[in-house]
Amino acid sequence: MAGWRRIIARLRRLLNNKRAEEDLAHEVASHLTLLTDDFERRGMSPEEARLAARRAYGGVEQAKQAHRDERSLLWIEQTMQDLRYGLRTLSKSPGFTITAVLTLALGVGACTAIFSLVNAVLIRSLPYGDPEHLVYLFSPNPSLKIPAEVICPSYGDFYDLKREAKSYADMSNFEQAQFGVAQQGTTQRIGGARVDADFFSTLQSMPELGRTFAGEDNLQAHTKVAVISHSLWVSMFGARPDALNRSIQLDGANYQIVGVMPPAFEYPFKSDLPYGDSDIKSTQIWVPLALNAQARTSRGIGNNVSFARLRSGVSIHQAQAEMAGIMARLDKEYAADPRDADAGLTREWGALVESFTGISIGPVRPLMRLLLAAVGLVLLIACGNVANLLLARAAERGRELGVRAALGAGRGRMVRQLLTESMLVGVGGCAVGIVLAVFFLRLLPKLDPGNIPRLNEASLDARVFLVAIGGSLLTSLLAGFMPAIGASRMELTEFLKSHAMRGSSAGHSRLQSALIVAQTAMVVVLLAGAGLLIRSYINVESVDTGFTRSAMTFHVSLDQRYSKPEQHVAFYKDLMAKLEALPGVQAAGSVNYLPLTNSESLDFIYVDGFDNKDHQQTEGRDVTPHYFAAMNIPLVAGRYFADADASARANRPVIINQKFAETFFPNRNPIGGRITGDPKQALLWTVVGVVADVRNTSLEEEPQLQMYHASYDTGDASVAVRSTLPPATVANEIRATLKSIDPSLAATDIHTMGDLVSIATARRRFQTSLLTLFAGIALIMALVGLSGLMRFSVNRRTREVGIRMALGAERRDVMLLILRNASVLVIWGVGLGLACTWIATRLLKSFLFGVGQHDPFTVVTVSVLLVVCGLMAAFVPARRAASIDPMQALRTE
Amino acid sequence: MPIQILQGTLDLMILRTLATMGPQHAYGIANRLQQVSDDALNLNQGTIYPALVRIEQHGWTRGSWGKTENGREAKYYTLTKAGLKALDEETERWRQMAGVVEKLLAEEQ
Repeated sequence: MAGWRRIIARLRRLLNNKRAEEDLAHEVASHLTLLTDDFERRGMSPEEARLAARRAYGGVEQAKQAHRDERSLLWIEQTMQDLRYGLRTLSKSPGFTITAVLTLALGVGACTAIFSLVNAVLIRSLPYGDPEHLVYLFSPNPSLKIPAEVICPSYGDFYDLKREAKSYADMSNFEQAQFGVAQQGTTQRIGGARVDADFFSTLQSMPELGRTFAGEDNLQAHTKVAVISHSLWVSMFGARPDALNRSIQLDGANYQIVGVMPPAFEYPFKSDLPYGDSDIKSTQIWVPLALNAQARTSRGIGNNVSFARLRSGVSIHQAQAEMAGIMARLDKEYAADPRDADAGLTREWGALVESFTGISIGPVRPLMRLLLAAVGLVLLIACGNVANLLLARAAERGRELGVRAALGAGRGRMVRQLLTESMLVGVGGCAVGIVLAVFFLRLLPKLDPGNIPRLNEASLDARVFLVAIGGSLLTSLLAGFMPAIGASRMELTEFLKSHAMRGSSAGHSRLQSALIVAQTAMVVVLLAGAGLLIRSYINVESVDTGFTRSAMTFHVSLDQRYSKPEQHVAFYKDLMAKLEALPGVQAAGSVNYLPLTNSESLDFIYVDGFDNKDHQQTEGRDVTPHYFAAMNIPLVAGRYFADADASARANRPVIINQKFAETFFPNRNPIGGRITGDPKQALLWTVVGVVADVRNTSLEEEPQLQMYHASYDTGDASVAVRSTLPPATVANEIRATLKSIDPSLAATDIHTMGDLVSIATARRRFQTSLLTLFAGIALIMALVGLSGLMRFSVNRRTREVGIRMALGAERRDVMLLILRNASVLVIWGVGLGLACTWIATRLLKSFLFGVGQHDPFTVVTVSVLLVVCGLMAAFVPARRAASIDPMQALRTE
Repeated sequence: MPIQILQGTLDLMILRTLATMGPQHAYGIANRLQQVSDDALNLNQGTIYPALVRIEQHGWTRGSWGKTENGREAKYYTLTKAGLKALDEETERWRQMAGVVEKLLAEEQ
C-alpha cells in the first residue's frame, strides 16, 4: 500500500503540485526561521540557534514527505470513494445508465467516425515530402471557354519556364497513360504515368526498393525501364525482392523494373488531378517520359501535367506573378509561329499556380465541413440529452443530496461526486462509442463515392482516439456540470421547503425545458438539411440525361497493328455490323467521348448566317451512324445519320443538339444550315438533324452546345449497344464478338450508362445518406430526451395529477395536460429550429440542386414530422399520467 | 515520559489550539502544544505537517501568508466554520472515547 501510495503521490506531484511544493518549502523555511529567532532570543549564537532549530524541527525531508503523502492520500481516498459510490448508484438505476451511455455513445461514435474520415482526407499529410510547397502550373487561355485547370504549359513553354523561373526548387512534367499488362493470361489496363527525370525528386519521394529514374533514362527512348507501385509489386511479384531483376510487359514491350515505391505512393490519384484521366484511379506504373528534341520544343497543347516545388519563402502569389511575366513574353515571342498554333487559337497563355492540397482536397473540403458540422450537432444533442438525464436524476435524488448536505458534505465534495458520476457515464459512452465508430467505419467504404481522396484510409489512429476520448469526457463534464452546480447550490432550507412543496412543484425545471427546446431546434436544422439534400438527390436522379440508362457500353482500343484510317473504318464497320446482328440487339454505335466519362473535345465553329464572334466553341463528337439509336437520344428535327454520311467528302453532314439549334439558328430552320470549323477554309458542314441535349459533363450541369460528326475512323472508342437482353448476357456477347474479330483486343470498362449515372451521383448519395443518417440519429435522441423529460415530469406531478383527478379531472384531461406540455416544448423548438435553419441552409447552398434553400415543402414536412414524433414520444408518459390512481397518488408522499 | 500520540488526536489538538489562539502558524501551534503538555508531548515540530494538510484538505482551516510580530513571513492557519463544527464533533467523540476508556480503567481497578 505504501509503495502504491508513493507512486500515486509522485504522479500527483508531476501533475500540478508545483505550487503546493513551493508553498510547503516556504512554510518549512519560515518555521525554521521562527524557531531560530526563538533560540537566539534565549541567548544562543546564530549558529547554535540554527542547529537547535533543526533539532527541534526534526527531519525536514521527512516532514515534507509526510506532507506530500498526506496530501495525495486524501485525494486518492476521495476519488476511490467517489468512483465506488458512482458505480454503485449507476448500477442501481440501469435504465438511466444505459440510456445515458448509449446516447453518448451514438454521439461520440458518429463524431469519431466522421473525424477519422476528415483526418484521413484533410489532416493526415500527403505521402510526399513537404506537400505544402508542391504546386501545379496551369496555363489557362481565355479564348478557350474551358476551366482554367485543364491545360498545363506546352513542353516548349515548360522548359523555358524551367530555365527562367526562380520561384521553384524543382519542376517536373508527366503524362498519364494506361498500360495493357498481361497478368495470368488476360490483359489488364493499369493506370500509369510517363514521367520526366525530375518527377520523383520534385515530390521528394524515395523508392522502398531499387531506384527511381536517373537523367539518362529520360534521354533515351529505347531504355525501357519502369518503377512499379507497392501493390503491383505484391500482386504481380509476391513482394519478392528479386522483382528488380525481372521485367514487366507493358502494351507488348518489355520494361526492366528498376524500383518499387512505398505503399502510400500511388501519385497521381484520380483526386490529385483536376482534369485527369477518369479511368485511372491510382497510378501503379511509372516509365520515363523520354521526350525527343522536337517534342521538347513543341508549343502546342499537350497532355502533360506540370508541377513544381516552391522554393521555401516563395508564395504561390509570387510564383504566379513570375510565371505570368514569362508566359506573356513567350506569347509575344511565339505569336507569329503558325507551326504549333492550333487552328483558330490565339497565343495568349496565362499563368495559374495552384497548390497540391488545394486541388486534391479543395473540392471535398465543404463536404467534410458539412459532415463535421452535422456530427457536431449530433454530439451536442447527445450532450443535451445526457445533461437532461442527469438533471432529472439530480432532482429525483434531491432528497438524498439534501440529506448528504445536511450531514455536512461539503459543496465541492458534492460537485465532485456528481461529476465523477457523469465522468463514469462519459467513460462508458466513450468505450461504446469507439466500438460504434469502428462499426461505422466498416460501413463507410460501402458508401464510397469514389472521388473522395483517401476515404478508404479512414481509420482510428491516435489523433482520432484523442478526439473521441476528449469529446466524450468534455461532453459528460459539460452535461454533468449544470446538474452538479444546481445540486450544490441547493440551500438546506430551500431543500426542505421544496421538499414540502414537492407534490405541486412545476414538474421540471426551466433548464430542462430549455435543453429540450435547444435539442429540438438542432434536430430541425439537421432534418431540414437532410430534407434539402434528399430533394436535391431526387431532382438529380430525375434529370433528363438525354440518353437511356439501359445502354450497354464498353471501350475498345486499337493497337499499333491498326495504323491506317482504312483499317479503323473496316474494324468499326465490322464490329457494329456483328454487334447489331446479335440476338436482342437493336442498335450499336460508337463515340469517341462517352457522356459522363470526364473527357471532352471542343471544336471552334463559325455558323453561316450568324453574327459570329471569336472563339465560339461546341462539344464535338465523332459517332458511327447508329450511335443515337443505341443511346436512345431522341431526334428533334431532321434525321439521324445514314450509313453513307460517314464517307461523305464534301458538305459533310453534322447533327447538332437543341441548345446549338436555339443558339445559332434562332427563328430559322437549322436543317440545311452550314457550319465550319475554320473561317479561312471552305470545308463546310451541313446540319441534317437536331437531337436532344445530352448531359455529357455531369448530371448537374446544363448541357452545352453539342455537335456530332459521322465517322468510323477512330483509334479507340466507346461503343454503346442497346439490347433487350439482360446486361450480363449482352456483356458476354460483346466479349465473344470482339474476340471473333480480333482475339488480342479486349473490351474494357463494360458497364451500362446507368452505372455511369450511378457513379456520377455517388458523391450526392454519400452526403445525402450520411446527413440523413445523422438527422435520424438526432431525431431519435431528441425524442428519447423528450419522452424522458415527460416521464420524469409525470413522476414529479403524481400528487398534482392525483389532486386534479380527485377534484374531478377526467383521464383525458390529464393526458391532454401532459401532451400540451410536450407540444409547447416541441413547437418552441421547431420555431427556434426554423429560424436557425433559415441561416444555416445558406451554408448548404452549394450542395443543393433544383431546390431552394428555403424550400417550403421541406420546412413544412420537417415541422409536421417533428410535432407528430414529439407527440408520439410524449404519448406513453401521458397515458401513464392518465392511469394514475388518485388515492395511490395522494398517499405516496 | 514522552507520550505517543494517538491517531487522529493531533488533529483535534490543532483544531482546539486554533480555536483558542485564533489564526496561528505551524511554529506557533507546535510551541503551544509543547507548552500545554509541559514538554511531555515530545514531538518534532515537523511532525504536525501531515495533520495540518489533512485539516486543510477537509476544509476545516484556511491557510494564508502573513507577517509575525517580528516581521517574519509565516503561513497562518485560520479555523473555518466547518472547522468549528468539526472541532465540536471531534471533541464530543474524544470525550465519549475518553469516557469509555476511563470507565473501563476504573472498573479494572
